[in-house]
Amino acid sequence: MSSFWRIFSLEITAAVRSKSLVLLLVASVAWMFAAPLLFVGDGTIEGARAISVHYSLGGVAALLTISILASATGAIARERAEKRLQLTLVRPVRYTVVAFAKIMALAAIGALVLAVASVVEACRSDLSRPCRHVLSPVMPTPREEALVMYEAFMGDPSTPAKVRKAKKSVVLRLLAQRSLDRYDTVATNDTLRWTFKSKGPLPDDGLSVRLRFTNAYDIRDEVRGELRLRVGDSTWSGSVSNITQAVVEIPLKRISSISESVTDAELAFCNTGRSALMLRPRRDVNLLVPADGFGWNLIRAYLELVAMVSLIAAIGVFLGAGLGRPVAIFTATVALAVSEMSPSVIEQYPDELETDRIDAIGLYITRAAAEVTHPISSIEPLARLSEDACVERREVARTVLVNVVIAPLVLAVLAALLIPRKVEN
Amino acid sequence: MKEETVVSLKGAKKTFRDFWLRPTVNAVDGLDLEVRRGEVFGLLGPNGSGKSTTIKMILGLLDPTSGKVEMFGRPPRSLEARSRLGYLPELSYLHPFLTARETLMYYGGLCGLSRGEASRRADQLLSMVKLQDVANRPVGGFSKGMARRVALASALVGRPELLVLDEPTSGLDPVSTKEVKTLVKALAKNGMTILMTSHLLADAEDVCDRVMILDHGKSVAEGEVAELGESLEDFFLAKVGNADEFVLADFLS
Repeated sequence: MSSFWRIFSLEITAAVRSKSLVLLLVASVAWMFAAPLLFVGDGTIEGARAISVHYSLGGVAALLTISILASATGAIARERAEKRLQLTLVRPVRYTVVAFAKIMALAAIGALVLAVASVVEACRSDLSRPCRHVLSPVMPTPREEALVMYEAFMGDPSTPAKVRKAKKSVVLRLLAQRSLDRYDTVATNDTLRWTFKSKGPLPDDGLSVRLRFTNAYDIRDEVRGELRLRVGDSTWSGSVSNITQAVVEIPLKRISSISESVTDAELAFCNTGRSALMLRPRRDVNLLVPADGFGWNLIRAYLELVAMVSLIAAIGVFLGAGLGRPVAIFTATVALAVSEMSPSVIEQYPDELETDRIDAIGLYITRAAAEVTHPISSIEPLARLSEDACVERREVARTVLVNVVIAPLVLAVLAALLIPRKVEN
Repeated sequence: MKEETVVSLKGAKKTFRDFWLRPTVNAVDGLDLEVRRGEVFGLLGPNGSGKSTTIKMILGLLDPTSGKVEMFGRPPRSLEARSRLGYLPELSYLHPFLTARETLMYYGGLCGLSRGEASRRADQLLSMVKLQDVANRPVGGFSKGMARRVALASALVGRPELLVLDEPTSGLDPVSTKEVKTLVKALAKNGMTILMTSHLLADAEDVCDRVMILDHGKSVAEGEVAELGESLEDFFLAKVGNADEFVLADFLS
């Protein structure tokens, strides 16, 4: 443990005395103040909030991602190139401890910079502004739904022979992708029902439903309807009347009140408009339940960002343990770009059955890269923070556990295996 | 392994390979070596003779391609073996932003010393290498000789039983060279085992009890300095063979 702290504090001392930490802090704070001046919003409070969170805090996160990655790849690789690493390796210290201490030191530097940026954000925000839990309808997972669809698909004589010959895993993946976008259609005077699972009893006030109308068909006609939420014998209701908005939030009023401990809520939407409506339950329907304030949400978003930085540091140190520094930086940068780009590539070209063999190979590689980099690319607390959507505690705990403890430990162990092999060269 | 043997190499071979795993050079070729407790053992040889590779295998920084390397009867990478080792590399390789005192405290900590113990040890060693007046200056601003003395002190900070010195007097002025030699003799007198490499045969002659001369990765001679019968330099040149080549290599180094 003593060795861990020695190496940890050595890295921190190096960052302080080389002035890189000070530079990073100054650049971050300057950006926090400059971003709202540089980017022009749409004049709404929401727009200003989005700029403040997305561009200011997001800019600091991007700056940290690049600088931590550069530092992490050099943490071992540069010491090895300068032959300083061998002086540590001949001491009675485990190589895993060397790698883990370096990862944690870089994560701590990232945590400090993010903390300062978050304090700036907190100072100019209304910390008591409420945020909401965003609940989605309880549904089978896309994979489960795909399995059901697969049976029906293969039993249908009109299914093309090309699809029948395709690998089951490929077809299932495509069906899972489609199930994400599956529409529920509700005709005039018809009713759709979705079930939600709340974390506890629902409050009397502050509940609302968010509906997204993403296609032009919906927007041309006026959308009219009645919403009714039932939890046991308690009921809330609201009216939908929309002609232009792509996203509407309909507040719900309690119309009957009995103390309930039930957490299953059923939301019914009765379409009273002139046209049928199509809604994707996985994407277009949310129940919004009041949660705590922006201050707590900011803290949770901060923890998720720290977890992201920690994972980036771990990946950088691992790459630096096995590769020379320039190669490690190049590899890390490519991985980062792939992690950002691959999800959109996959979404744009979901159907490899319709592409040729070369495209299929390319998509296969992209999908594998997206899978590997998912732990980083899936962390996006800032989007939720700017929408006042709650960054959920359980998710934060899981992200912190995986990205700050488990993944760095695993990568430190792997780095420890690579260190003596690379020293040979 | 005999009780008094501190370092042992048996048939140690190190072959470096290229990207396609084709052998490029046999840096060490079936070397047998034994360093006994309390002696000062010199590893001599011209450039490219395999001295550094041998040292790196002993330190656990390189794995032998074949053969066996042991330190204190254990694999060199074992924590127990490393806890009894001190190492001074050919160049100092210090962290430039740390002060001399912090450098010793850092390496003391890695050797398992408590903060207080490391602090006391650092003061003691800084005074021994006559750097107590500049103890709180970053070593990045030190002259080569001063940096060398800090590196030597940091090799001694964990009270090692085996001290490996790679060209210990390289870059030192004559006075400092003499001081290092005196220190090596004093450490050996106190029972420390010392394994050193040197290009400077006079240095080896002054401090070593036994030497081994390496050429092309093989031992060409081994014995007690006193028993070699002639000046070590003449003996060395006779064994290595090509005197001109050696002089040129030494000059270039």
